[in-house]
Amino acid sequence: MRLTLTVNGAEALIEVAPHSTLLNVLRDELVLTGTKEGCDEGECGACTVLVDGEAVDACLLVALSVDGAEIETVEGLTSEEGTLSALQEAFITAGGVQCGFCTPGLLMTLTALLRENPSPSNDEIREAISGNICRCTGYAQIIEAVGSVARQENGR
Amino acid sequence: MTTSLVGASVPRTDGEAKVTGRAVYGVDYSEVGMLHARLLRSSVAAGRIAKLDTTHAIGMPGVHGVFTSADAPTCRAGWVIKEQHLFAHDVLRYEGEPIAGVVADTREQATAACAALEIEIEPIAPVADITSALDEGARLVHPEWEAYEPAGPADHPRRDNIACEVISDPDPDALLQAFAEAHTVVEDTYVAPRQYQAYLEPKSAVASFREGRYTVHTAHQFPFNVRDRVAQCLDVRPSSVRVLGHHIGGGFGGKLDTALEPYAALFAKLTGRPVKLVNDREEDILTCPSRENAIVRIRTALAQDGTVLARELECLMDHGAYSGEMPWLASVPMHVLGQVYRTGAARVTTTLVYTNTAPTGAFRGVGGTYLYFALEQHMDSCARALEMDRRAFRLHNLIAGGDQSLTGQTLDDAGLLREAFERMEEAAPWAEGPAESETNGALRGRGIAALTWMTNPMPGSATLKLNEDGTLGLITAATDNGTGAVTMGITQIAADALGLQPDDVVLLMPDTDAAGYDAGSQGSRTTHIVGRATATAANEVRDKVLELAARLLEADIADLELTEGHVVVTGASDRRIPLAQVAATATFSSGPIIGSGSYATQAPSFNPGCATGLLFPVFPTPTYHVHLAEVEVDPVTGRVTVTRYVVVQEVGRAINPAGVRGQIQGGVAQGLGYALYESLESDDGRYRERTLETYRLPLACDIPEVEIVLMEHPDAEGPHGAKGVAEPPIIPVAAAVATAVADAIGRPITRLPIRPDDVLAALAE
Ligand code: FES
Ligand code: FES
Repeated sequence: MRLTLTVNGAEALIEVAPHSTLLNVLRDELVLTGTKEGCDEGECGACTVLVDGEAVDACLLVALSVDGAEIETVEGLTSEEGTLSALQEAFITAGGVQCGFCTPGLLMTLTALLRENPSPSNDEIREAISGNICRCTGYAQIIEAVGSVARQENGR
Repeated sequence: MTTSLVGASVPRTDGEAKVTGRAVYGVDYSEVGMLHARLLRSSVAAGRIAKLDTTHAIGMPGVHGVFTSADAPTCRAGWVIKEQHLFAHDVLRYEGEPIAGVVADTREQATAACAALEIEIEPIAPVADITSALDEGARLVHPEWEAYEPAGPADHPRRDNIACEVISDPDPDALLQAFAEAHTVVEDTYVAPRQYQAYLEPKSAVASFREGRYTVHTAHQFPFNVRDRVAQCLDVRPSSVRVLGHHIGGGFGGKLDTALEPYAALFAKLTGRPVKLVNDREEDILTCPSRENAIVRIRTALAQDGTVLARELECLMDHGAYSGEMPWLASVPMHVLGQVYRTGAARVTTTLVYTNTAPTGAFRGVGGTYLYFALEQHMDSCARALEMDRRAFRLHNLIAGGDQSLTGQTLDDAGLLREAFERMEEAAPWAEGPAESETNGALRGRGIAALTWMTNPMPGSATLKLNEDGTLGLITAATDNGTGAVTMGITQIAADALGLQPDDVVLLMPDTDAAGYDAGSQGSRTTHIVGRATATAANEVRDKVLELAARLLEADIADLELTEGHVVVTGASDRRIPLAQVAATATFSSGPIIGSGSYATQAPSFNPGCATGLLFPVFPTPTYHVHLAEVEVDPVTGRVTVTRYVVVQEVGRAINPAGVRGQIQGGVAQGLGYALYESLESDDGRYRERTLETYRLPLACDIPEVEIVLMEHPDAEGPHGAKGVAEPPIIPVAAAVATAVADAIGRPITRLPIRPDDVLAALAE
């Protein structure tokens, strides 16, 4: 079946099987492998992408159900010239990345959070990422990364 | 003059690849013409295959082959004991054990064909747990155990359902006498759960077979072990297998032995096409070599003044159905018992017990997690019996510099334990007790726990080649499973020696054809061992650079320094030459500049007569630690909240303090999961938790910000003095939290994890 999506600003026309998930489409059809699969059951948050601006688990969405939607993935966070977003930079400098498998999902969840709430408290950050498991970092440096972006924004 | 990179919190060099989604993990790797496989796994804990009919599955759309034990080599394989066939022959010994494999054009087709395999299994009553496995007349998990051969030169004591036994009882008379004359004898039994590594990237492998050799792509902690085990399983020599590493989405010990790699390799050979295999999360949970569940009994003879006169420890570890590296881990209880507190006369017995459950294995900190939990809870129990202060009782029995461990290893720096207690006292004075609660009615408690742990001594190597553009190629099979040991530690050591920046170091991902042997990311060894090898390699490159540069600059070698990508005459900054120019000149005159280094820690001496069955007799390059936890317990719900957590850790030298902090914060988080939430429970040998929802992992709201005090006592052998860092922070967490909860509720904690129901039950007693 035919599916039309706007993915990171570019239109994509894809033939998909009826049961294909958005995650399958992104990883297998569009070869955007930055979005990760940790469980395929909506439990780990590694597959988080933005659908019309909202953070969702791509593994739970039947692709056809989001026909026509605007999708943002980790690959779209970097500008065309290759400049990292402030949040991506902050993840690197604050040490919020270890194995990095949770990172794309966290970046998407937090990008959505910062758009809605440019200066979240630490508790609001914790709450926002309660659906994103990170097994490596113990979260502290991720929370710091978000805090440092919020401070930069406010300083502007 | 630039400042040193060593000791600087510079970012990891793979950070950008990881935040942009460009990093290729094992699951992301694919090849042209690649097929997809799935495994049919046992649905029972114990049984017999009555019928397996592949006819229908073979005819399914897209299927290239269906393979069973008839298609695999007949040899048995295993890390320590050769017990395992690739596919079950007739008998099934744990849920998840591979029975057959299907290869098809797509994963969906392989999954469908796998479901279409016609199988009949006659279930057998499983040997479900440690206790029933040891019952008299218990069914043997391996009736043919005597026929199994050790993989290495020496065997170890084993019999029936006992996969390995370590016994140390050097002076039975002294022990008896101490217990007979003791003022007080205290005995406790502790129970610890099975813990799943729960790395976020499930296991996978892509293999091909060309020109008589296997190539295996995998995101693995220990590529050379994959090479060796694939070779063993497929009955070829190790050099017939090439293993290539990719970014690893976490490992924590769960990716030290092979899982899917030998199957992918076999299928690649049988189909003539590259084959990819990926675990779904349920398969991953069912078959991962999780931290073993265990039962620990400790008994102590005490003098009236609080001196420990004698101590006995018995540890029963659940081995699961087959041996991974577990027989080595049977040595851990002996180390733990004698390396923090003095024991007086001691007896230690460790028994690894076969059950019809998934084979257990290494998880960061291995058995240390529950052994220290047991030891520290028991220390509290002894202090209570003597009505002594818990901290004072610990200090009274603390080992000192020059004391010997129970294996006869001299711990020269053990005085650092007392120093760690003092540093903790500055951070969190004991007499102050836990901070006032902000929650009405909450019970508050505080716990303290100490730790001595090792740095894994196994060998590693590095080769550095100076490229003509002045960058440095780094070739090593050391793996960065997320810790930053390679992309921070080793990279910084290499760059620092040559006056370069971390981004000037071009890292080759592990390739067993290109790099020398490396023992994998385990036991905090990478920065210490491979960092040292890298320092040696870098010095060789540096010497060659300086020799040539001295000629080019007409200067004395002693007057040269390497900084900002240049060789500079000290004090005459206009007399400088780019490193690139030196490299290019060398390359096209005498040949490229290359340096190499190899290293393994020389084993400290020990007493070989101290025990039988001890495969892992020393704890080299030890580090010393004290942890403190403060908790609040809600007496109505039984919920435990960790309100404060402090770590004092001795690291030798912190090459990258931010990286060290990440390891401590992350290790403590995993330890809190183990202490409070995580447990693979089984019903009749079958796990109850099969998803990341039912297997409760720590989330952002569960983990406090850890306060960290680093102690630096440089090691004479380590690079810039560095010792192991990443493994230990998980180990004393359950010990510290459990003693804090026990303090809060006034009842001992004897079982992990400490769940609300258990707290309420204890409070009701
Ligand atoms: S892969 Fe979608 S939530 Fe885990
Ligand atoms: S960095 Fe490894 S799971 Fe988050």
